Amino acid sequence: MNEPILSPAPEPAENGGWGALSDLPGNPLMWVLIISELLVFGAFFVAFGVARMLDVETFRAGQALLDVRMGGLNTLVLVTSGWLAAKAVQRGAEGAGPASRRYLAAAGTLGLVFLGIKGLEYAGKAAQGIDIETNTFFTLFYLMTGFHAMHVMMGIIVLAIVGWKNSLDNLETGAAFWHMVDLIWLILFPIVYLLR
Amino acid sequence: MKMRENHQQWSRRLLRAWALLVGLTLVSLVAVLGFGHSEAGLLAVMVALGASFFKARAVLDHFLDLRRAGTGWRSFFYGSLILILLVLLATYIAAEK
Repeated sequence: MNEPILSPAPEPAENGGWGALSDLPGNPLMWVLIISELLVFGAFFVAFGVARMLDVETFRAGQALLDVRMGGLNTLVLVTSGWLAAKAVQRGAEGAGPASRRYLAAAGTLGLVFLGIKGLEYAGKAAQGIDIETNTFFTLFYLMTGFHAMHVMMGIIVLAIVGWKNSLDNLETGAAFWHMVDLIWLILFPIVYLLR
Repeated sequence: MKMRENHQQWSRRLLRAWALLVGLTLVSLVAVLGFGHSEAGLLAVMVALGASFFKARAVLDHFLDLRRAGTGWRSFFYGSLILILLVLLATYIAAEK
């Protein structure tokens, strides 16, 4: 168990033909997706900042209606889920398939908890008569958090698939998708909930 | 660059990264909930954005293993994060004026 091992990414030679992407650990295609998603969400984030600058009172009023503690709780849920996904890869690299599957299942379960909390938040807003057309702040709020929640749903499906077909390469690739979802939330959360 | 580490070291590194993520999240919440509406509001926002950068970096380095990539890729990802966060800080400051 304690003997030195190589970290789980394939040797660069296995990624031959990917150019500069070959220098990145894991599946190069997943990094293409990660970079693409960061660019898309990065544009969203900058648009949010500029829109807030142009209509700060509307954004302040909208942000005052958000529950920071609920957003913070979801952040803790998602980073813990990310750690569990990373543990699944580590256990998979040790050849501990059942343990790896349990970590994946726990990561996916926390993904469902994240969606449940998000659902409660949306339901609370709906009960207050707030929807995507209320004002610019809530349009961007629902677009950004809704788009991210769709990624969480897709991530849970990906984790389930790699739990079923859990080769080390699949585990790494599936977990990388999950970490990308985590990464986006770590920027989205302060922008929407904390910059008020 | 490949790095050798045994499973216990790997496990401890992941645990430390998770603890950092939880700790920085709590620091952000305390900064904004405790000082966000005071004269230190801008400082609280800077703390939250700074914490965000270090959290994103922890996920990139330890969960996505970017620490094993070359300097160019790491600079690209860290630089992109810093750029986005600085633009957001600038728009926040401009809105407060």
